[in-house]
Amino acid sequence: MLPEKITREMFDKLVSLAALELDEEESEYLRTELNHQLAAVKELSEIPIDEDIAPSLHGIDCQGNPPRPDEWQPFPDPDAILALAPETRGRYFVVPEIAQLSQEGK
Amino acid sequence: MNSTALSALEIARRVRAGELSASQVLEEHLAQITAVDGISGQLDPPALTPLEEQKVHAFIQVTADLARLQAEQVEAKLTHGEDPGPLAGVPVSIKDIFCVQGTTTTAGSRILYNFRPPYTATTVARLEQAGALILGKTNLDEFTYGSSSESSAFQPHPNNPWNTQHVTGGSSGGSAAAVAAHETPLSLGTDTGGSIRQPSAFCGVVGLKPTYGRTSRYGLIAFGSSLDCPGPLARTVSDAALMLQVLAGNDPKDSTSAIQPVPDYLAALAEGVRGLRIGISPDYDHIAYPDTKTGEMGIQAIQPEMNQAVREVAQVLASLGAEIVENVPMPNARHGIPTYFVISRVEAASNLHRFDGVKYGYRTQKPVQDLTELYRVTRAEGFGLQPKLRILMGMYVSAAAHSAHYYQKALRVRSLIRADFERAFDSSGPYRLDALLTPTTPTTAFRRKEVLGDSVLMQYSDQMTVGANHAGIPAISIPAGLDPQGLPIGVQFFGNDFREDLILRVAYAYEQATLQAEWRQVIPQALRAAEVK
Amino acid sequence: MMTKYEIVVGLETHIQLNTETKIFCSCKADSWGAEPNTNICPVCSGLPGVLPVLNAEAVHKGALLASAMHAEINPISYFDRKNYFYPDLPKGYQITQFDEPIGKGGYLDVHMPDGSTRRVNIHKLHLEEDAGKTIIEAGQRLVDFNRCGVPLVEMVTEPDLHSGEEAAQYLTELRQLLRWIGVSEADMERGHLRCDANVSIREAGSTMLNTKTEIKNMNSIESIRQAITLEAQRQIEAVEAGQRVESYTLDWDADTGTLRKMRSKETEADYRYFREPDLLPVVLSAEEITRIQTTLPELPYARKMRFIEEYQLSAYDADILTSERSLSDYYEETVRLSGAAPKTISNWMMNDLTRLMNDLDKSAAELRLRPADLAKIIGLVENSKISPATGKALLKKVEESGRKPSEIVTAEGLSLIGDEDALRSQIEAVLSESPSEVASYKSGKESLLGWFVGQVMRRTGGKADPKRTRELLLEMLKQ
Repeated sequence: MLPEKITREMFDKLVSLAALELDEEESEYLRTELNHQLAAVKELSEIPIDEDIAPSLHGIDCQGNPPRPDEWQPFPDPDAILALAPETRGRYFVVPEIAQLSQEGK
Repeated sequence: MNSTALSALEIARRVRAGELSASQVLEEHLAQITAVDGISGQLDPPALTPLEEQKVHAFIQVTADLARLQAEQVEAKLTHGEDPGPLAGVPVSIKDIFCVQGTTTTAGSRILYNFRPPYTATTVARLEQAGALILGKTNLDEFTYGSSSESSAFQPHPNNPWNTQHVTGGSSGGSAAAVAAHETPLSLGTDTGGSIRQPSAFCGVVGLKPTYGRTSRYGLIAFGSSLDCPGPLARTVSDAALMLQVLAGNDPKDSTSAIQPVPDYLAALAEGVRGLRIGISPDYDHIAYPDTKTGEMGIQAIQPEMNQAVREVAQVLASLGAEIVENVPMPNARHGIPTYFVISRVEAASNLHRFDGVKYGYRTQKPVQDLTELYRVTRAEGFGLQPKLRILMGMYVSAAAHSAHYYQKALRVRSLIRADFERAFDSSGPYRLDALLTPTTPTTAFRRKEVLGDSVLMQYSDQMTVGANHAGIPAISIPAGLDPQGLPIGVQFFGNDFREDLILRVAYAYEQATLQAEWRQVIPQALRAAEVK
Repeated sequence: MMTKYEIVVGLETHIQLNTETKIFCSCKADSWGAEPNTNICPVCSGLPGVLPVLNAEAVHKGALLASAMHAEINPISYFDRKNYFYPDLPKGYQITQFDEPIGKGGYLDVHMPDGSTRRVNIHKLHLEEDAGKTIIEAGQRLVDFNRCGVPLVEMVTEPDLHSGEEAAQYLTELRQLLRWIGVSEADMERGHLRCDANVSIREAGSTMLNTKTEIKNMNSIESIRQAITLEAQRQIEAVEAGQRVESYTLDWDADTGTLRKMRSKETEADYRYFREPDLLPVVLSAEEITRIQTTLPELPYARKMRFIEEYQLSAYDADILTSERSLSDYYEETVRLSGAAPKTISNWMMNDLTRLMNDLDKSAAELRLRPADLAKIIGLVENSKISPATGKALLKKVEESGRKPSEIVTAEGLSLIGDEDALRSQIEAVLSESPSEVASYKSGKESLLGWFVGQVMRRTGGKADPKRTRELLLEMLKQ
């Protein structure tokens, strides 16, 4: 039985998973809106669907490009990509160290 | 005559014929921007004077230098007897969700406030190759999340040129406003749930969502990857067709880009509607709206002028020889928004994962203990409320425990929505439609701040447009009158896969038959103030 | 102690495909030794607005590997997003294959040294993109995206291995296979082949699966053997002491030969997998699948068995000659072209040719000396046209000059003197110059025969046919 509403506890966990942090006012506002949206999508579960209705990943039947040939085409300016970074050291992107995480996957 | 009064077709014709210089076109449009736009959207705007409050504020960034270079290139080509392209000298504005090298691309968000991409979106590159002058980046809802353009981190947000106390709609609000206010005759927008068509309707311009894959998504900062479609906004149907001709076509950089050949959209325009079957559906004369406490779905009437406009448009088309097919059932239209809430949010949350302060854009200045804190604080400070809401919703409904219930189910309901359109357009089916006519929106442009805090109500502005995104089919919104408040009314034509040519043709027929209508002679408030025509 | 318990091992391998470019963009797949962040583009560095475009060759190699592993190739497979935050993952999600991968099932028969065969079943075989690399310097984590987007095949085995030795043997044969069919260089030092191990124990005879630990950071086959053996031992000791085995991820430290606890495995992250909307399904037609399956080369073990039977080679020789594909093809081609015995050719290849290859650091495929040349040289020696020593030296001469063996023999006058008259005159000269040695020989010192042969060889610059010389000497010394 799925929860009808997102509790404060579930919400805080979700915020953490999303790599966000919110102040009290934002939290309450967003949690309220989330629950309104969940109410709005509640009807989805009640729509009767035949077994043979497949999921549509794209509305139309995508007739797109076939896979490309295996040919090297270097990007002309990798330095321009590095130059976008807020912090670099030499040719590396810099991030702070990772604290001991109890859950995260590789 | 000032070139801001001309259509794109006419500007291009005159520039190519040497009757008008690209530089003159450019300067006249820049002057118009100066006259009507006011200050550009920015992160820390000053308090607005009453005069500024009445400006359009369509732009985040005006790229005059870039445009001048492009105008020079057009002129050089003409001097050397080279073809300057089908859009030679035509000013175009670009929704600031498209990466354009040489500009900042902000997506209306602080988290990309300084992002200067080292590449240009395919759709924009095609415009440039066609000789267009890129005048600037237009403002939008943050990351295209919204239907009013109010949520941009760059304020002031765009105002509706017809009444600056009202919203432009969104998320391509700046684009629609720029076109309506004669700042550029053409604008490049995106449509994920209605983001081209809804603001086009609110601002009294033409907006086309092409078939999914018809225009390349390369360089478009993604919202809903299976829903996003770049498309044209213009003041006339033929201008929209001209722009679509330049944008459309396969792109090897986009795996979902369609391989279907591109027809000649302009050539087909004037073929008329005699014998075409145009449907009307009872499922599109109201909206199904949920009680946000109980989830109970109820029926809500839409603004009566909308249904009135649909009837009038149908009458005009009938008088031109079209066959109007009433009572076409579209029973799954009512599921459009709930389905959209789920699918678009799952894709959006994932698409926003990459914004973390490490590789580009905003990074928090606060000292942080570790990597996780860097991510959290950067994203908390960099994202506005709308992205945060989308991320949380998306993560919730795609969580392993909920995915089958919400996401997988929504993908299957999408098939039902698609099936409604397939049945309507099936050439051996019961309706055999060439186009389906509906209102574009449930209401005309609402007032500023009227809807912004209510995310459900805001999303429901898209109920009539979103079906095309789920089904992948093309749809166009065209102006069909003004309501008693003087605000534009839009009607919409849905078409079959890759039949942009047909819906353009139907729209064109209506437009041409009503050129002299009184409501078409009314000038938007923002233009009256600037006294330009 | 060991026989009371059974060790249960499953291996998760990541195989870097040797395509020219990455899986979703046209940057190079191999950037070993390159400066950081030079082999990047907007797609693989996670810039906004760009899109993945699938590499056809990655699909082909993935299908080829699936076929070689006896897996069923899925005619339609899908890419999915695996969402999580980590600095070496620029998009914040990895594009992988979750529930409909390119290969289904499959196995590898591993041939243990004791003659037994262990069938290792494959649980999962799918395509995915690699992440970047991070290093730590002065308390900061530095990130390099050069490796982001390199095509990988992930293969997970069932827990069908039962010791560190078996795991090592599995990887050895897997590595050989990967190189054999040409889908990966499989060099563990360069990270082309990476392996994590899941280890648990159970009472011998039980079929239950108990709590397992995961071992990471083993960078060689020997490390894998050691680490698994050590961990199994640790678990047995813990259980014997009445403790529970807890689910942990362990880091192998090759320098100290020890395992270190990294983190607890209790909470599995929720990756919120969903179909990648920017990519279309991967479609392989029935014709393509048939073509892949029928053009699969004879695999190493089958070829080894065939060499033993068809060419009467020893298991040892057959093993060496099927250790690497180009060497093996070279051998067979030489056998085909030469009239000499397969065993003779095998000796030439395992000794002299191998020495040449090692000296020049070339594989058999890279040699200018082709099987036809080797066959010719062997033929010249077998027919006493040149001495064995000349033959061996010819290998290098052909390789360096690129000229045909016969050409060199003629140009340098390397032919053995087999002409009887010429030999007789040389022998006469030697005998007349060495009267005391002749006298010693005739009075019984028959071992001097070799000395006389040596003298003739010296006079002729090594070109006298030693066999014929010996025969003639015997005859002429009798007189």
